[in-house]
Formats: sequence, C-alpha cells, structure tokens
Amino acid sequence: MTGKCPEYVNELNDYLDGSLDSGICAEIEKHLGKCQNCRIMVDTLKQTVKLCRGGKEESLPPALESRLNNLLKAKWDKKFGKK
Amino acid sequence: MNEKDLVLRAQVGDFDAFAELIGAHKDKIYGLARKLSGNDQDAEDIVQDTLLKAIDKIDQFRLEASFGTWLYTIALNESRALFAKRKQTDLKPIEEYLPGGHSGSHETGDHHRLFDWRDPGSVLESEELRKKIDLHIAGLPYKYREAFVLRYVEELSVKEVARTINESEAATKSRILRARLALREQLSEFFEDRHDREMS
Repeated sequence: MTGKCPEYVNELNDYLDGSLDSGICAEIEKHLGKCQNCRIMVDTLKQTVKLCRGGKEESLPPALESRLNNLLKAKWDKKFGKK
Repeated sequence: MNEKDLVLRAQVGDFDAFAELIGAHKDKIYGLARKLSGNDQDAEDIVQDTLLKAIDKIDQFRLEASFGTWLYTIALNESRALFAKRKQTDLKPIEEYLPGGHSGSHETGDHHRLFDWRDPGSVLESEELRKKIDLHIAGLPYKYREAFVLRYVEELSVKEVARTINESEAATKSRILRARLALREQLSEFFEDRHDREMS
C-alpha cells in the first residue's frame, strides 16, 4: 500500500460525504482495511464535521435587537422621508 | 400577509412590513455571522450592516428569490467584505495534512501513528471543546471558513456552495476539504493534549 494514500485525495471529500461512485468506494475501503493511519484519518475527519455541526442555536442578543430596531427605524425614516 | 405582500408594502415605505420580513431571518443571519466570525462583536457588525444594506436595496429586490435567500446573500457579502480587510495566512496544501505526506509511505518503517480520537466521550459536550471548535473555525482563512460553514453548518450542497461563493465545484470541494483537514488536525492536537494530561 506504500504510496497509495495520496491517490485518494481528490475523492476523499466525496467519499466522506457518501457521494462517491461505489466502485471507488470499495477500493478506498479495501485500502482502509489495511492502512491504520488512513482509517484514523477518515474516521476523525467524519468526527470533525459532526463536532463542528454541534452547538447551541444562536439568537440575536436582546441588547443588539433593541439597538438595531432604533437604528433601522432611523435609516428607514431617512430613506422614505419620514420625520 | 404573505411574503410577496410584505415586500410590496415595504418597498413603498411600510417599516412594519420590513420589520416582519427581517424578523423571520434575524436569528439565522446572526447564527451564520457568529459561526463565520467566531466572536460576538464581528457577528453584531455583520448583522447590522446586512440589515442596513437591506434597507438601501429593498427597492431593488425583485421577488425572484425568497427574501431570506436575498438577505442571506447580503450577509455573506458583508461578512466577506469585513474579513477581506484582514490579513490571513493560507492553509497548507492538502498533501501535507495526510499521513506520510507526499511520499505516502506511512505503512512501512518508523511512521508516526495518528492519534485516534474517534470516541472522545464526555468531552464532546464540554464548553472547552465548543469554544475550541468555534475558535478553530474562525481561525481558518476566510475563503475556507466560508466554504466549510456553508457546506457543513448551513448544510448547503457542494453545488449550492459553489454558486454562493461564485467558484467552480472543483475549487469549492478543494476549499472544503482543506478546511476539514485543517480542523481535524487542530482538534487532534486538542484531544492528544487532553489525553496526555489525563495520563500524566
């Protein structure tokens, strides 16, 4: 398997996202069965996305919301000529 | 009142209609800005600039896309403009993130075994990790950060990301992969350090 791993670079993201042709997938999986570092690389790359997707839903801080409302209203009134 | 009616009313000066239109999207825009910037101040600036720009351009909105998509595009442009002013170093080439580097000889000899953190357990929910992840994403050069966040946080397809950032699908895939590899490397260092601390 020496020298084999970089050959998969162009297909790596499609493989990780499950959008790769099944024939190439089978080849990669055969390689992963024999290459521990590539297996760790692939597993941790999957985990990376899982971790980055997590976290709490963000919502606009109330202080910003209040400040924004005043700012937007002032800009609106200026644009549409209201006093 | 439906979105089209709200837009038409906003375009003739009805602020309440505009407020209702943006109300449905403010949190999403803030979440995107927070993820892209990694800090509250920049996120607030992006949201503010986005909504002010939306007022400037409301008469130009033609209902060809949804209001949310239009607002989202403005937010991405504002975010890009903000980070374009800041100096950023590029990421390493893809090959340098891979085990064995260019030679690919990691199956033989004295290769360095990658640290395996597939099952990080309780640390997954920790505030420390959450902050690290946000910092690492925000630390990516903008063009990689944007592609990664749009693909995996906002869950757009590669084709949609490519269209949004005005790049080819091949270039988009490359940016996404480089971002993913860089983040993996940084997270790996985090888990390895943590593991070493626990063992000592």
